[in-house]
Amino acid sequence: MALPHQSQYTIMKIYGHIICFIAWTALLTGCHSREETSFSMDPVKNVEELWQIIDTKYCYVEEKDIDWNAIHDEYLAKAAALPKNDQIALFDLCAEMLNTLQDGHVNLYSPFDISNCTSWYDSYPTNFNSQLQALYLKDYRIAGGMYYCTIDNDSIGYIYYPNFLSDFSANSIAWIFTAFKDCRGLIIDVRNNGGGDLNNAYRLASPFFKENRVVGYWQHKTGPGHNDFSQLEELKSDTSLIPSKWFRPTVVLCNRRSYSATNSFVNMMRYADNAIIVGGKSGGGGGMPMSYEMPCGWTVRFSSVRMYDADKKDIEQGIEPDVQVNMVSTDKDDIIEKAIELINGK
Amino acid sequence: MIKRLVTIVVLVSSGLFVCSGMRASESTDHTNVLKVKGGWSYQLDTYLSPLAYHGWQIGIGNEWWQGFRQDTRLGQTGRLSNWAHVGRMEAEGLMHINTARSNMTYAVLINGGWGAFYCWQWMDNRLKVFLGPYIEAGLTIRYLNTNVNKPLSLDVAADVMAMSGLSWSFYGPKTSYRLNYQIRTNLVGFDYVPDYWESYYEISQGVEGVARCSGHWNHHTIKHELTLDMQFGHSTWRIGVAHDYLNYGTKDLHFIRNELNMVVGCIWHYRIKANTRL
Repeated sequence: MALPHQSQYTIMKIYGHIICFIAWTALLTGCHSREETSFSMDPVKNVEELWQIIDTKYCYVEEKDIDWNAIHDEYLAKAAALPKNDQIALFDLCAEMLNTLQDGHVNLYSPFDISNCTSWYDSYPTNFNSQLQALYLKDYRIAGGMYYCTIDNDSIGYIYYPNFLSDFSANSIAWIFTAFKDCRGLIIDVRNNGGGDLNNAYRLASPFFKENRVVGYWQHKTGPGHNDFSQLEELKSDTSLIPSKWFRPTVVLCNRRSYSATNSFVNMMRYADNAIIVGGKSGGGGGMPMSYEMPCGWTVRFSSVRMYDADKKDIEQGIEPDVQVNMVSTDKDDIIEKAIELINGK
Repeated sequence: MIKRLVTIVVLVSSGLFVCSGMRASESTDHTNVLKVKGGWSYQLDTYLSPLAYHGWQIGIGNEWWQGFRQDTRLGQTGRLSNWAHVGRMEAEGLMHINTARSNMTYAVLINGGWGAFYCWQWMDNRLKVFLGPYIEAGLTIRYLNTNVNKPLSLDVAADVMAMSGLSWSFYGPKTSYRLNYQIRTNLVGFDYVPDYWESYYEISQGVEGVARCSGHWNHHTIKHELTLDMQFGHSTWRIGVAHDYLNYGTKDLHFIRNELNMVVGCIWHYRIKANTRL
């Protein structure tokens, strides 16, 4: 074995420095504090973490008429009184705390239950009766989750779309419009439609726009502060999503339970070329929900992206219809009747 | 934003492609290692969940080593010492479950890099030490099983790294061995993360996330590997352990991945002649 030359000693010295630098780096990264939340079933820790999640990530803390700090103290005290291993009691307590937000997008998911808030529509007129609707929705066909038929002596097309989770194709829309080719108007009924995929809302609105135009804005949370939001980003209608077009009179029917993606659809249709909104105030849910996990592994869903109409007005609380109609008759659907009247009057 | 990312990735990829396609004008030794790996990993992605996830991964990779010019002698003492280069491509699939055992993530990782290094050799060329720069680009896409409007998260990063290592060849009773240790860590580069609480809808519609210059102040990557090459008959095999560590963050978002893998590979040695293909 040959002994290292003097120059190699120098090289090895330099190399030693480099190894020291890398070792220092390894130490630095190894010592970096982990920001993870450790698993825990402790009621106090879970209620505290849940409160923090809402406080830092929910986008409507400021808008809700509640003292969120007082909620913290109240529910932390309740959590401290809970037995350690009673998961159902912990779930009920967390759900109760979340329901103070009165937001249909705020839910708690556990392996044994899902919390749900109903107060946002309980005090409003129902404005929908499936038995009365059945008087109109006869001999219907179903395309991509949309029930469709003609009413008023085949002069008006009627579409009932109960769920925006149901996907539909451009071909389905083309078939529906073909079936309505002799109709002078169209009714799109999205009452009791609780929402679903926002993409479907854009796609369903697409045929009713002659050109792309701003239909709203959105902004997401950018930090833990209650008012930490990104810049407003434009939301535009997209006429290319569905090639078929419909510019004859169109009436969109909604009620308080037209929520979330349906609320966004109703908002978009306000800016369509020949459409009006009839019925009751929509349910809102303009804040796009997202979810996060608690230390016990349950998932909490809440709004974290704010959405606005084209006038930059928040649509979280719902959208007022162009023509307000409440159902009072017991032998006919007053809202559908009003829509027929409006189309025939045009 | 997406266009900018794509442009950078394409440029880096093109650089890797050009470099990997370099051919020396003289005959050159080429060592290729095809390897599989598998092991345990830890993951934290606070964009998706505050809980830590643990799980397993398997991967496949290819690594080659080649001298720039085999007959170039840069050492002053007559000992063999020269410049060479190394390239790697790796792909991994990862599956993790959270500590509450209530949710899972799946991830795909693609990573490639190229580096040049200077090699010092002693003890009749049995002890080698190398050092040089390395550029690496990687993409990891994670999918969280149960989530609303935010099911995906991704790491995109390109780094200039410092790479070093040593190898020691020795003889056993029946065969010869080579012990290798390699380490590389990032110096400067860029990374991308979704913005704090940005939704999948927004990302898909082109709303920008956070792309930034990264370095040791905000992004830590260390990859090191200890392997043993063993010769059996006319074939050479590699076995060892590899540790990959990634840690970076912005605002309230923290991303950590810690992987420990067993590595098994097969090694081929070639001699490439100028302007010929294998």
